[in-house]
Amino acid sequence: MMVFAGPFKRRRDGRYAVRLDPKVRTVLASVAEQLGPMIDTEDDATARLFPPAYLGEERAVEETGYRSLVDEALRNHHHRSLGVLIDTASADVLTAEELGAWLSSIGAMRLVLGTRLDVSEDMDPPAAGDPTEAEFAVYSLLSAVQAAIIDVLASELPDEGAPERAL
Amino acid sequence: MTRLRSMRSARLRTTEVETAPVGDLDFDLEESVATDQPWLVIVWNDPINLMSFVTFVFQKLFGYSKEKATKLMMDVHLKGRAVVASGTRERAELDVYRLHEHGLWATMEQSG
Repeated sequence: MMVFAGPFKRRRDGRYAVRLDPKVRTVLASVAEQLGPMIDTEDDATARLFPPAYLGEERAVEETGYRSLVDEALRNHHHRSLGVLIDTASADVLTAEELGAWLSSIGAMRLVLGTRLDVSEDMDPPAAGDPTEAEFAVYSLLSAVQAAIIDVLASELPDEGAPERAL
Repeated sequence: MTRLRSMRSARLRTTEVETAPVGDLDFDLEESVATDQPWLVIVWNDPINLMSFVTFVFQKLFGYSKEKATKLMMDVHLKGRAVVASGTRERAELDVYRLHEHGLWATMEQSG
């Protein structure tokens, strides 16, 4: 019996085979290219990528300290991940690191799009002809690709857990 | 219940935690005198992140078993938030940063 293989599959050499429709790849690269410049603007939609660490007025000083520590690093992280996705969008094989970048950048794209669409947990897709229809379709596609990546990466983690990684 | 370790620098171990603060903690004596209470790392529910992704991140970042990571994810999902780790302020900030890097919404607060 043939088992349908997912879009991402770990190979013996530790890299990952990618089987995705060229149209899907085009969408991924295109959204990544649009998101890149947005990371550096202080936009309502991208604000979700830079959430607070400390809540409350009494921790305002700590929050300012945290932001000054991390915002540049977070921006660089997103630029790097998006860059890898753009560069490897047509690849048939990805290294583990590249697949990690796909996971990260697709996650960021979902967060920004999802914020713009104001998605809620169990929402119905928009009706045909609704102006958000196309954007929602892209959002759903990103969700499916991200789920497929998580499927393959999660299956590699030990069920029983592992000692915390050294940093 | 806590255990005192040697006075030399603590390697803070975040052990598995329940949603009620705090599990077993190891911290060094100087740190505990200076700051008293450990910091809690909290993850908040959001309508965007996939449940499978949140579980994966908890396993990956904290080394939790799949079962524990799934339970924490469900606590976040059903209760709106859950404590996922605890430790010194520096350690908590690092954990929050790693969670933010993965797109989760995490905050930190001092327990007690």
